[in-house]
Amino acid sequence: MSATFVEQRPTSRLRRWTEREGVFSWLMIGPPTLFLILLVGYPFAYGIWLSLEDRPVAHAGKFVGLANFVADFHDPVFWQVAINTFVYTFFATILKMVGGLALALTMNQDFRFKNAIRALMLLPFIVPTVLSTIAWMWMLDPGFSIVNWFLKYTGIADPGPSWLGNPTLAMMSLIIVNVWRGLPFYAITLLAGLQTISPDLYEAATIDGAGSWARFRFVTLPLLKPVIFIVTMFSVIFTFADFQLVYVLTRGGPANATHLFATYAFDIAMSGGQLGMGASVALAMLPPLALIIIAMSVYMKPHKS
Amino acid sequence: MANIIQAASRRDILKISAATAVGGILGAARANASPKQMTMMHESSFIPAYDAYFKNTIAPAYEKATGIKIVYETVSVGSIQTRDTTVAETGTGPEMAQMAFNWPFLFDEKLVDVTDIAKTIGEKGGGWHANSAEAVVVNGKWKAIPFGNIGQLMNYRTDWFDEVGVKTFPETWAELLEAGIKLKKAGHPFGFELGHGFGDNHGWLYPLLWSFGAMEVAKDGKTVAIDSSETAKAIDFCREFFQKTMLEDCLGWTDVSNNKAFLSEQISCTNNAESILYIAKRDFPEIGKATGQAQNPKGPTGERYHMLNPWTHGIFTHTPDVQAAKDFLVWLMDPKQVTGWYDVAVSYYGPFLHMFDDAPFWHTEPRNLPYRDSMANSHLPGWPAPISRPQSESVAKYVVVDMFAKACAGKSTKDVIADANAQLKQIFKSA
Repeated sequence: MSATFVEQRPTSRLRRWTEREGVFSWLMIGPPTLFLILLVGYPFAYGIWLSLEDRPVAHAGKFVGLANFVADFHDPVFWQVAINTFVYTFFATILKMVGGLALALTMNQDFRFKNAIRALMLLPFIVPTVLSTIAWMWMLDPGFSIVNWFLKYTGIADPGPSWLGNPTLAMMSLIIVNVWRGLPFYAITLLAGLQTISPDLYEAATIDGAGSWARFRFVTLPLLKPVIFIVTMFSVIFTFADFQLVYVLTRGGPANATHLFATYAFDIAMSGGQLGMGASVALAMLPPLALIIIAMSVYMKPHKS
Repeated sequence: MANIIQAASRRDILKISAATAVGGILGAARANASPKQMTMMHESSFIPAYDAYFKNTIAPAYEKATGIKIVYETVSVGSIQTRDTTVAETGTGPEMAQMAFNWPFLFDEKLVDVTDIAKTIGEKGGGWHANSAEAVVVNGKWKAIPFGNIGQLMNYRTDWFDEVGVKTFPETWAELLEAGIKLKKAGHPFGFELGHGFGDNHGWLYPLLWSFGAMEVAKDGKTVAIDSSETAKAIDFCREFFQKTMLEDCLGWTDVSNNKAFLSEQISCTNNAESILYIAKRDFPEIGKATGQAQNPKGPTGERYHMLNPWTHGIFTHTPDVQAAKDFLVWLMDPKQVTGWYDVAVSYYGPFLHMFDDAPFWHTEPRNLPYRDSMANSHLPGWPAPISRPQSESVAKYVVVDMFAKACAGKSTKDVIADANAQLKQIFKSA
C-alpha cells in the first residue's frame, strides 16, 4: 500500500501540473501548431523564398528580389493565364452553387430509393479525378463523343464541334467537367445544411401565407447562408488552384486558352527547370485568392443578431 | 510480339555467356569496394518486352558476373522528368537514371562527368553520331551516355494516298499540302498536333520552321531571330496546311490524340514516333498493313529536318561509388549486352553508335529505315543555338508551338510573330 502511495505521488503532481489551464492549453495547441508549421508553414515560406531567387533546377539559387514577379508582369501569357483562371473559377463556382443548391433541394424531398440515390450522387466526387477525366477525354473527342455522334446521327452537325480544339469551347468543356466533378460536394454539404432547418419554421411561414418561393427566399436561403459561404469558399480555393483536369485534358492548350496558374507554374518549374519563376507564378495566385476570400466573407458572412 | 520474344530468348544465351566473361574481369578488379546494389530509373516503355528484358536478362547477367544487383525502377510515362528533378534536387534515390531531350544540361551540376567512359564506349561501338554531342555535352563534358533516339516521322495511310493518286510519300511540304487537299476532300483529313503535348507538336513544327530556313534564336544562343521573312513564310504555309488538310480538333490535341485518331481511321497522315505502326501491327493488323512511314518533307531550302529525342543515361553525383556506376554503364553499352536490348524494341530506340547503322533489327521492319536515315538531320528544339536554360523555358512555354497554333486559329502572321518575338526577347534577356 505504502509503496503504491509513494509511486503515485510524482504522477499526480505531473497530472496536477498538466491540468493547469496555462499548461494544458499549450499541450493541446502544441501538436497542431507544430504540424502546421512543418507541413504548411515550411513549404509556404520555402515557396516565397524560391520566388525571390533565380533558381534553376539542380543549381544553387541566387537572390534576385522581385525580378521573377517583374518578369511575370511582362509576360503576356501570364496575364492570359490570370484571366483564364478568373473565368474558370467564376463560371464553375456559380454553376456549382446554383446546380448544387437545386440538387440539394431535390434530394431533401421524400422519394423512393432516397438513400441509394444520395449515395450514387457522390460518385463523381469519389472517383479519382484523373480516371474520370480520362473518361471525359473520350467523351470530348470529336470522333468518339456521344454528343457529336448524336449531332451527326440527327443531321444537326457533321462534323460536330471540336470540344477541346476550339479555344472558347475548350474553356467551356473544362468548366463543365469541373462542375460535374464538384457538384456533389456542394449538394451533399448543402443537403446537410437543409436538414438542420427546423420544419416548424416552414409550418409557421405557411400559416403566415408564404408560398413555396417565399419559404425558400425568407426561410431556407437565410438559414443556409453560413453553409453556402463555407462551401463556396472551399470551392473557390480548389477551383482557382485546379491542376488535374487541365493537365489531363488540354495541358493548357490550344495556345494557352486553358492554362491556369497551377498548370503554367508547373510547366515553367518542371519542364522548363526554372523553379524560382515557377514559384513566382504559383505565388501570384495568393493575393487575388486572399482578396476573393476577404470580399466573400464581408459580403456573405452572417451577422449574429 | 511473339517474334520479339523468341528473338530475345535466342540471344539471351549468347548474352549471358558474354556477360560472364566481361563482368568477371570487371568484378575481379573491384572485388573489394563494390556496392551490393545500384538502381537504374527509367520511364516505363510502351513496349513491355523492353522493360522486361532489363529486369530478366540484363540485371541478372550483371549480378551473376559481378555480384552487384541492379534494380530497374520504372516510372510512369510522362513523369520521369518530375522524378529526375526530385532526385537531382534532394540528392537521394537512384544512382543512375534515364534522361531525355536537354536534361543532361538542366541537371548538369548534379550529374557525374562521364567523358572518359563515353570515349571508351564510342571506340568500342564504332564512334558516336555527331548529334549525340548536341544532347549530352555540357561545357565540353559528357554528362550522360546516349542510348537511343525516339525519332518522329511522317506516318501515313498508303492505301488512301494511293486512292488519290499519290504513290510515294511527297518529297516537299508543298507536295504534301497538295496531297492533303485531295485526301481531305476524299474524307481522309490529316491530323498534326498543334496543342500542348510534350512531343508530337515540337516534333513537326521545329523541323517545319527549320526547313523554311527560319530559326528561333541565332547560333550565338542570345540573339532572338524569330522575326524573319522565313518565319512568316513557314507560318503562312502552316496556316494553309492546317485549314486545307486538317481537323479543327488538332489545335487542342495532346500526344495521345493523334495516335487515337490514326488508329480509329479518322486521319490519313500525322507526325509521330514508331508507336503508331507498332500498335497498329499488334492490335489493328489491317491498319498496320496500310501504314507507311517517311522522313519529314523538304522545305523551300531544299533541306529536311527532324526532332532529336534522345534517351540518355546519367549518373547522379550523390552516387556513393561513381566508378561502380560507370563500370555498369560501360558493360551495359558493350555491343554484347546492348544489342539485345535494342533488339527487343525492334528499332524504337535508334542507337547513337555507328556500329548499329546497319544492324539486323533495322531490317526486321524495313518501314523503320527512315528513322535511321533521319538521325543525320535531327536536332533539339532551339537549334542551331546550343542548349540553354532560356531555351528550356521557351519550350516549356510552347512559344514556337503557340505561334503556329494561333496563326492556324486565324490570327495574322504579323501578330503571332510579334507575340513570339516579345516572349522570346523576355526569355532570352538573361542569356
